[in-house]
Amino acid sequence: MQSGVIISNTRLQGDYFKVTFYTPEICATAQPGQFVHVKIANMEEHILRRPFSICNVSGSGELEVVYKVVGAGTEVLSKLPEGTLCDLLGPLGKPFQAPAADEVPVLLGGGYGAAAMFMLTEKSAQPGVVLLGARSKNDLLLIDDYKQSGFEVRLATNDGSSGIKGLITELLPPLFADYAGKKLHFYACGPMPMLLALCRILPEKGYPEAEVSLDHLMCCGVGACFACVVKIKADNPDGFRYARTCSEGPVFAAKDVYLGE
Amino acid sequence: MADLTTKLGALTLKNPVMTASGTFGYGFEYNKFYDIAKLGAVVVKGIAPFPSHGNPTPRVAETACGMLNAIGLQGPGIDKFLHGKEYMPFLRTTNATVIVNIWGKNVADYQEVARRLEQDKTGIAALEINISCPNVKAGGIAFGTDPVLAKEVVSAVREVTTLPLITKLSPNVSRIGDFAQAVVAAGSDMISLINTLTGMAIDINKRTFKIANKTGGLSGPAIKPVAVRMVYEAAQAVNVPIIGMGGIVSGDDAVEFLLAGASAVAVGTAIFADPYVPLKVIDGINAYLDKHGFNSVQDIIGLVK
Repeated sequence: MQSGVIISNTRLQGDYFKVTFYTPEICATAQPGQFVHVKIANMEEHILRRPFSICNVSGSGELEVVYKVVGAGTEVLSKLPEGTLCDLLGPLGKPFQAPAADEVPVLLGGGYGAAAMFMLTEKSAQPGVVLLGARSKNDLLLIDDYKQSGFEVRLATNDGSSGIKGLITELLPPLFADYAGKKLHFYACGPMPMLLALCRILPEKGYPEAEVSLDHLMCCGVGACFACVVKIKADNPDGFRYARTCSEGPVFAAKDVYLGE
Repeated sequence: MADLTTKLGALTLKNPVMTASGTFGYGFEYNKFYDIAKLGAVVVKGIAPFPSHGNPTPRVAETACGMLNAIGLQGPGIDKFLHGKEYMPFLRTTNATVIVNIWGKNVADYQEVARRLEQDKTGIAALEINISCPNVKAGGIAFGTDPVLAKEVVSAVREVTTLPLITKLSPNVSRIGDFAQAVVAAGSDMISLINTLTGMAIDINKRTFKIANKTGGLSGPAIKPVAVRMVYEAAQAVNVPIIGMGGIVSGDDAVEFLLAGASAVAVGTAIFADPYVPLKVIDGINAYLDKHGFNSVQDIIGLVK
């Protein structure tokens, strides 16, 4: 368990914020796709930690988290000033595998899922592509950051306010056409319906090892309580088992995700 | 430094702080943070004769100063528990005092899992019979809210094991003393309480239950006064060691349970917020004893009448 002093906490846009903690030990080992489990200061009546994907870390010990205000925890977090001390557990969870030197990384980020994959931009030998999807242009995050990292950015919004009008999955056919002959390594993070759709589509297209980051209401964060489980295919009469997203995930191979009810 | 050892019948613990079943996994998960042998005992998550999926999700919801859970006893089953490397074989590599929590859907299941553990009991200090899980449809609390059934389960387990037996009682009854007496009469060497209180929470925006199982077990600081009261009542009703739990987050909380009549305590939900809480509780009990001039934990057990 580490302390994390908030060194900045600012609104990116709308309900989206970026908080930066100073926490050198966690930064030293954090890998793309991992998370930190945060005991948010000033909310003693709320007994549980809140998990946040790590967006980026710096060599000087700064850890960035991008979050949306969705409930009591993120509401309090969004109001914490610089200098506030929180305690952090991490880095936790199974990370994404870095792309091989001959692979073009393709990142699919739905909403603030874009943040959970950002560290991959520094792990890839060649520039990749990031497909971002959201309800509307105000929900698209980190576009400039991805561009600055050399990634090609393609956008989709439900209302057509930015990029194509439609779902993120509709960006795939042109991508396959444009990158024909290249070796692609897919990564995805976003809302569950999007991820389940990708777990169907990507293995069919020949990418069973596509990596998806799943999560569910989390409690202990270290594999002890079995709260945050998702259905993963298993060799038993039911065809699935409940796997803990905190310790067996959050990253799973698309081919392993159980798609039945 | 006060003497922290405590006696639970034939079992002596190095200190009175255990983990509550279901909140500490199988020990493996927290041994990454510290040596789990520092604890009085590690009580593992419930083991049945069969593997079990547990309940659909969502399984937890935070509530004021507490939480609801309906995990539904997801678990590996006895075969994997005895042979899977992250379960009993791992625990045998530690110096931890291990207590195995057991459950089943019927009396025969309880007996079966106890019999299997008896055959392979190296490294197992005691069994804890779970007759109080509110979140499984068959077994669990069905046995814990009917004194006749409770007695039947405990007797059946007693027949097949020589290990010390703890029976974990449900708070979802009106007279806890009756249940304490029933399980002790059936051969339980001691009792632990409380398990969670059945509760419910509704998401008013989605207009759904917050937990897929509709109801869940309430735990955390919110339930501590109920737990202290029930430990006190149980201590008046029976003359066996009591393991008290429910909302403990500090040494002072633990002392309350000891004063009410518990010989040991368990930390549960607080571990989710801070894995180190059990160690802090041990230190806190010691600090209390030193500050008030007590030489030993034994000196304060049941001191408040």
